[in-house]
Formats: sequence, structure tokens, C-alpha cells
Amino acid sequence: MTALALRRDGPGTVKVPGPRRRLIGLVVALVALLVLLVLSVMIGSTAIAPSVVWDALFRPSADIDQFAIRDYRLPRTVAGLAVGAALGLSGALMQALTRNPLAEPGILGVNAGASFAVTVAVGLLGVRDIGDYMWFAFAGALVVTIMVLALGSTRQGQSPVAMVLAGICIGAVLGGAREALQLTNPEAFDAMRSWNAGSILGRPLEIVWPILPFFAVAIVLAFAVAGPLNAMALGDELAVAQGVRLARTRVLAVIALTLLAGGATAIAGPIAFVGLMVPHVARWIVGPHQRWIFAYSVLLGPILLLASDILGRVVMHPSEVPVGVVTAFVGAPVLIALARRKRASGL
Amino acid sequence: MTTTPRRRGSAAAAVLLSAALVLAACGSDGDAAGDKAGETHSVTADNGTIEVPVDPQRVVTIGNTTLPFIDMGGEPVGVTDVSASELGLIPEDQRTTFEAGTSLGASADQIDLEQLAGLEPDLILAQFPESEFEPLEKQLGSIAPTVFWGLGTEWKAFADGLAQAGNLTDGLGEQKAEFEDKITRIQETYGEIIDDTSFVNLDRWASSDPGTFSIADFGCVEIAQDDIGMDFPRAAEGEDPLGWTSLPFEQLAELSEYDVITYPVDAEGRPTEPFAPVVETNTWKALPAVGSGRALGVFCPGNNSYGPVLQYLDSLDAALATLPAKE
Amino acid sequence: MSAVDFGRRVLVLRRRRIAVRLERRSVLVCTALAVAAAGLAVLALMTGSYQLSAGQVVSALTGGETGLVHDIVVEWRLPRVVAALVFGAALGVSGAVFQSLLRNPLADPGLIGFSQGSYTGALVVILVVNGSYLQLVGGALLGGMATAVAVYLLAYRRGVQGFRLIVVGIGVSATLESLNIWLILKAELEQAMAAAAWGAGSLNGVSWNQVVLGGSCIAVLLLLAGMSSRPMRQLELGDDAAASQGVRVSPARLGLIVVGVALTATVTAASGPIAFISLVAPQIGRRLARTGGITLAPAAFVGALLCLAADYVAQHVAPTPLPVGMITVMLGGGYLGYLLFTEARRRL
Repeated sequence: MTALALRRDGPGTVKVPGPRRRLIGLVVALVALLVLLVLSVMIGSTAIAPSVVWDALFRPSADIDQFAIRDYRLPRTVAGLAVGAALGLSGALMQALTRNPLAEPGILGVNAGASFAVTVAVGLLGVRDIGDYMWFAFAGALVVTIMVLALGSTRQGQSPVAMVLAGICIGAVLGGAREALQLTNPEAFDAMRSWNAGSILGRPLEIVWPILPFFAVAIVLAFAVAGPLNAMALGDELAVAQGVRLARTRVLAVIALTLLAGGATAIAGPIAFVGLMVPHVARWIVGPHQRWIFAYSVLLGPILLLASDILGRVVMHPSEVPVGVVTAFVGAPVLIALARRKRASGL
Repeated sequence: MTTTPRRRGSAAAAVLLSAALVLAACGSDGDAAGDKAGETHSVTADNGTIEVPVDPQRVVTIGNTTLPFIDMGGEPVGVTDVSASELGLIPEDQRTTFEAGTSLGASADQIDLEQLAGLEPDLILAQFPESEFEPLEKQLGSIAPTVFWGLGTEWKAFADGLAQAGNLTDGLGEQKAEFEDKITRIQETYGEIIDDTSFVNLDRWASSDPGTFSIADFGCVEIAQDDIGMDFPRAAEGEDPLGWTSLPFEQLAELSEYDVITYPVDAEGRPTEPFAPVVETNTWKALPAVGSGRALGVFCPGNNSYGPVLQYLDSLDAALATLPAKE
Repeated sequence: MSAVDFGRRVLVLRRRRIAVRLERRSVLVCTALAVAAAGLAVLALMTGSYQLSAGQVVSALTGGETGLVHDIVVEWRLPRVVAALVFGAALGVSGAVFQSLLRNPLADPGLIGFSQGSYTGALVVILVVNGSYLQLVGGALLGGMATAVAVYLLAYRRGVQGFRLIVVGIGVSATLESLNIWLILKAELEQAMAAAAWGAGSLNGVSWNQVVLGGSCIAVLLLLAGMSSRPMRQLELGDDAAASQGVRVSPARLGLIVVGVALTATVTAASGPIAFISLVAPQIGRRLARTGGITLAPAAFVGALLCLAADYVAQHVAPTPLPVGMITVMLGGGYLGYLLFTEARRRL
């Protein structure tokens, strides 16, 4: 999905809560996240007693039910936490960078690049293992974002609008090529069907660990550019007057959001909606303060993702619904309700 | 075909089709001698009753008709693409026959009609989704008589119809006799096992979500179930097949209730590529059936014609022979 | 970006009460596009895997051939060429209407959920009901229309504001897209591929029936679009400005949305959703004609040419025949990108 609106709406007049209430909100979100982490280990498509869950984590044995906790539920919980946080934060970065409330990381070509690379890997190179997809997806996302960054650069530096347009065009071309490759290669099409849905099921910890250092670097970068991005929200000229170096801020922000979104896509496949809506909710709670928006997004992302994942495990029992399918169903009503509020979508 | 969950055929359609074929066969009897060129008889399939040549010389196969037609000894002049993994499962001589046919496109909806017309076929045999056939029906029909089956056709009725239309009934007759033979032998040899063992058949396909498997009740297992009489779980009447539901790995633990597990392997006896992740899980290794040698790998190269089905029966026979005696 | 511009050479045709102001460059561009499209159409009639001489093609067109040669030229190639031109024009105009209406260069009917909704309808017919071709068309139309209406109603809050329409459209589209991915995931491979090929948009197997039926709907709708180009231009200046000039804003906007969606719906019914033409044709047209705002005629001609060129590439240039929708995405995306960057470089 691409966010197509490049026009800015009028500035939002959201009531801005004080620092105290923002902090309380942050603690509430943290507690909610911890509860969801516990629920994510407890709830699954088979009923396992809490005592077995406890034993599986702290008194491991070769009992068949313990494997379900250690091998499946724990890794997917870790994956959900990492992917959710990465998507939430990358969305916040993207919206701050483009000053567009409808921007999401996908429109810089991250998903298009990752999907194209995975399709090539599956269709032409015969790669079949989810652990091998990961590096293709990550590399594809990085290469395409660099291309977008280069094409979106003008003599004056990076223009957010030009970058978004470049992302849409490259995304379209790669998307067509990907589809052509898939429809002429039934096996690639078949193997890509499940990847396209976006899921954190069946991703062992070995897939998640190697991505985490990239996330750590990106989170540090994101908070480092939060201040300058705040200043840029008021306009480039004002920001320059305050000593912000526009080009450097933009490049660092793009690097951070690419690592985050690319890494998340590498682990889970394309999950479109989290990056779009989480920053909205964060902005709705804390007002236009990038650092707070970032902090909230890091927490709200995994809250949405884990809640959707838990819901997806039970709603179609004994089967499961991939989390990428559930997030849009959970998120879209929230987004529509927000859009119906007056001016809630301004930045 | 083995990689794809296949919808169970509608029995009514199969009965109708067989009845029509018997009638059609009667109508065309008795003029075997001499040059058959130009003579026609009528066959009935999902697109109605069609006049086709008695002895077609230039046959084009579209979609799922290609490999079964070749399996019965047919030599199509034009074909649509077949995936590399399916080609890898068929005998060398059949692959050569396939490659001798002109490729007309990736699948039915992308077929190059002009190239097809250029081959000047005298018969087109096709099986692909119904929704795609309607817009193509008139154009295919203007090139050559076209016999079409939808995806729901039961495999035996499909083989009969294909042989009838493609003038391959001799090859089919041999295969059928061999099939009956093998079924009887398995029933006699393993009568006791068949009567008091609860089986469950697992599968996983390239399209399955990572971390999931299915209890498959379609494909080759239908033959073990319906023709041999083995006891496998199956969907209730009117419900979707069990195999359409993908189950997360943690539900592997619930398979302890079955005596014997069957799972898909390749020609060398290794778990198929999509199924390999299941065998690697700790849950699988901890299952009692797996620990006691009651998990049987069975090779199913296809279930849409007799040739691959015969290979399946051989593999099933060999697997059942390894089963340890019940305590 | 207003359409107000002085000092341009303008042709004014007056005939009773109709006064059409045609910018000279627009006329030139449209003529050039029409000539290019006609040339390409001739080429498309001549080309195919079944070898025919120029004489055979001409004689088939004039009724001098029978049998297979007649079928290939008159029943297969010709309707396909006509369909590409007519459908392309319809998509171009549909996009132009939406981009003007929402004052957003990247708007198209897909934005209010039409494409995803019609795909959902088609998927349900193909995968769940296992229905016939007619049911497929019905399902696609019903799905698309229902989604468009739902988006419109959800975005309605004392009138429909463009921005809110976009956000609601994105939300609904995202939900349907998830549903579509899931439906495809749960289907058998052959069915899923058939659905995906339909979803890509294909002119394979287009017959005269579809062309005549679709073409007449499109002709009526294009006429309606042409007649509403004046209120459309006034709406571009903003709701208040339009109201002060006597435009009844809400009915006018609803009417334009209906025309835009109906154009896309007609094409979708005949060939599946052909992507990207409605998005890029108005932009390419505006840049070629160097007009300030979105204008309908260049969008229509660019759409027609783009669609025909894409179908030619999809059939005869690609290593294996492909649905035309994949090529429109690549051609349109690439060319729009090229235009945007040459423009951006010039301006900065």
C-alpha cells in the first residue's frame, strides 16, 4: 500500500498534555506491553497450563508441551516485540521526515525492494528457506532506499517530496517486474504467497538475533535526530536559523528508518499498517514532540503487533491468521475514527 | 500437482461424466478398420458434448491435462508450462515428450492463441479454473474441438475422459488393470493393519505459512482411504477438506492420539523440501509414533493420473512393510 | 497550481452557446498522440505469433478473408486493439477527474478503495464460490462499488472533504488488501494464479461483445465527464470559490466521483483492474501539454496510447505473454519518474 497524499493539511490544534501526563501515559503503555508479552507466551492454539509455561521457562525438560513454549511462543514474542517497535519507530521517522501524516516506510520503496529481492531469490535462485529470505529482503530494502535517496537528491539536498515520488516510481516498476516474475513462475508465486501476508509465526530466534544490532543502531540514530526533526517541522528555513543541518539530518533519518523497516520486513515480511497508524496514535496522545512521539511509537508498535498476533492465534482456531492480515483489521477502524475527528490528522 | 492441495471431485459430476462416456463409447464402436482420419465421435466433458476426431493427430494440452495425457502415452504438439518440481517427478522419456511440445505460455490465462492456432491442432484438451475458460471458450473452439474439465473433476473420471477424447484407451486399460492388482495385493498383505490402525497423514506445501503444517485429506491419501480402506481422519460431509487448514507447529503435540503418521517424502525417501522443517522440530522428535518407527514417509508424485498413483502405491506398500508389530 | 494563465495562444471556437477554449499546444499534443496511437494500432494489427502478410491483414479488414485469418484479424486482434485504446482513455479520464477533485497529483479511483474492493469481489467469486465468468464480473463490480460507497459514507461528516476521503480510503483499502492477500494464501495454486492474473488486468480473450458493451458505457461516461469539466475546474479553486461562482459543491463532487468510479468500473468489468494508467496518464498529459491544471483530453489520449503500447509490449516484446497491467505499471511508473526528475532538476 502506498500513502498517496503529499499535500499537508492545516496544522493540527491538538491539545498538548503536560510532561507529567506524558510520562504517566508512557508508564501505562509500558505496563500494557509487559502484560501483552506475558499473554503472548501464555496464549496459543493449544491449551498449555500456566505451570507448564513456568517450567518451560525456568525448569526446562524434554516434555513435549515445553517445546511449544520455548520453540514457538517465545521466539514469536521476541519477534513481535522487535518488529513492532521497529515498524512503529520507522513510521514516526518517515512522517517527521516528509512532514506528511500519510507517509509510511513502504513508500520509500522498502517493501517493494524487499519483495522484489525475495521474489528473485525464490524464483530465479531457488531459495526456499525463510532464514535465507531474510538477507535478500534486508539487502533489497537497503539498495532500493539508497536508490530513492540518490534519485530524490537535488542540488540543494534531499527533498522529501522528490524522495517520496522516487519511492513510488521505483516501487511501481519493481512491483510490476515482481508480479511478472511471479505469474510466469508458479513455484515462486506459491512460495511467496505466505511471505506476502506478513507473519511472525515460524521465525526461530536465529532469524531475529542478527537483526537486533541494526535495530539498536537505528534507535540511537532516531533519537539523535529527533531534536533537529522537531525544528524542521516548522519549516526548513526556521530550522536552518536554529543551526539544524538539513542534509545530514535527512540522511541519518533515512538510514535509521531503512534499517528499522528493512529489518522488520526481513523478519516478518511486509506488514504495511503498523508504521502508518502507530505514529498517529502517538501524536494524538503527546502532541508534536518528536522525541515523545518516537518513545511512544517504540511502545505502541509492539502493543498493536502483539495484540493482533494473539488475536490471530485464537480467532480462527485451530488455524491462525497471519499477523500482517490482522493488523489492518485492528488498525483501520482506529485510523478511520481518527480521520473523522476534526483535524486529528494534522502534524 | 503433488505440491498443490487439490479439491475433491464432485461425485455427481463424475457419475454424469462416466455415464456420458459409456454412451459416447458405444456410439463410436465398430469401425476400427481403415483410415480414421476425418471421422469423429462425441465426448462429454464440463463444456458439454463435443465432436472430436476419432484418431486425433495434433493434440494441444492446456493446464492440468498435459502430464496425465503424456502419462497415458500421448504426445502433445503444444503444451502450457509445467513447474520444474513437477517435471522432476516424471520419468525421463515423459519429460522428453513434454519438451518436444511447443510451449504456448505460462498458464491458460496467458496462452498465446495465435501461436496455438499456428500449430494447427485437431484437438485441444484443457483443465484449468472454470472462471478462465468462459472468455476463452469461443476462441479455442474456433481453432479446434476443445474438451474442457474444471478443477473439481475426480481423477479417475478425468483419466477416463482424457483417454476417450485423446484416443489413448489402450494405455489407460493397462494402467487400470495394474492399479486394481496393486490395491488387491496391499489389502491382502496388510489386512490386519488396515483394519485396526488409526493413521494420520501430514503434509506441508511451498505455500504453507512458515511454522505450520496440515492434516492432509486430499491427494494420494484419498486412494489409501477410499480404494484401500485405511483409516485416516477426514472432513465431515459438506465441510472444507481438513488439509485447507494450516495448523501451527505447537499442535504437532496433539498427534500423539494416532497410531501411525504418514508424511511426504521424495523419490529417495527424504522428507520433501516443504515438509523438512516439520521433521526438524523438537515436538516432532518427541512424538511417540516417531520414536517407535511408526512415522512412515510415502512418495506421492501426483494424483491426477494412473502412472504416478501406481508409484504411490509401491511406496505405500514398502512403507507398510517396515511397520513394527503392535505391542 | 491554478489554471489561470495569460499570454498563451488560445483557440476559441464559438458555436451558439458553446464556447470551447482550446489551448493550441493541447490541440497539437492531442493530435500527435492520436497519430502515434493510430500508427501503433496498425503495427499491433500486423504483429502476432501467427504470421500474416500486410495484404492478408488488409483483405481481412475489408472482408476479403474467411476462416482462421478472418478470425485472427477481425475477431482477436482488432477488438483487442480497440479495447486497449478505449479502456486506456477511460482510465486516463477517470484519473484526471479524481486528481482534479482531490487536488492531489497522486489520486486515482483506487484511492477510495475501488480497485481493492473489486479485487476482493472477484477473489470471492473465483476462490470461494468457484463461479462463472459472468459472476466474476458481477462480483468485481459489486465489490468495487460497495467499497467506494462505504468509503464515501465513512468519510461523510457534514459534507465530504478531500483529505478525509483519502485517509478513510487508505484505511479501507489496507483492510481489503489484507483480506485479499489472505484469500490468495488460502486458495489452491491454480485458482490463486488465475485470480492474481485477473487482478493484474489482462486484455487476453477480449471479444467484440465486451468492447461494444464497455465501449458504449464509456462513450456516455466520457460525454458526462466532458460536460462537467467546467464545475470541475471551479472546484479546483476551492469549495468556497466554486460556491461563489454558483457551483453546488456537494452534488457536483458526488457526480464527478460517480463518473470517475463508473469509468474505472467499466474497464475493470471487461479486463480486470489495469493499474497505474489512471494515476500517471493525467500527470503525463499535463506535462506534455504544459497546462497548469489537470485537463481531460490529454489524459484520455495519453491513457489510450499508454494502454495500447503496454499491451503491445506485454504480448509481443515480453519473453512470454503477460497481463497488460504489469507492463502499464512498469512503463507508466518509469516514464512518470523520468518526467518528475527532469522537471525537478529544471526547477531547482
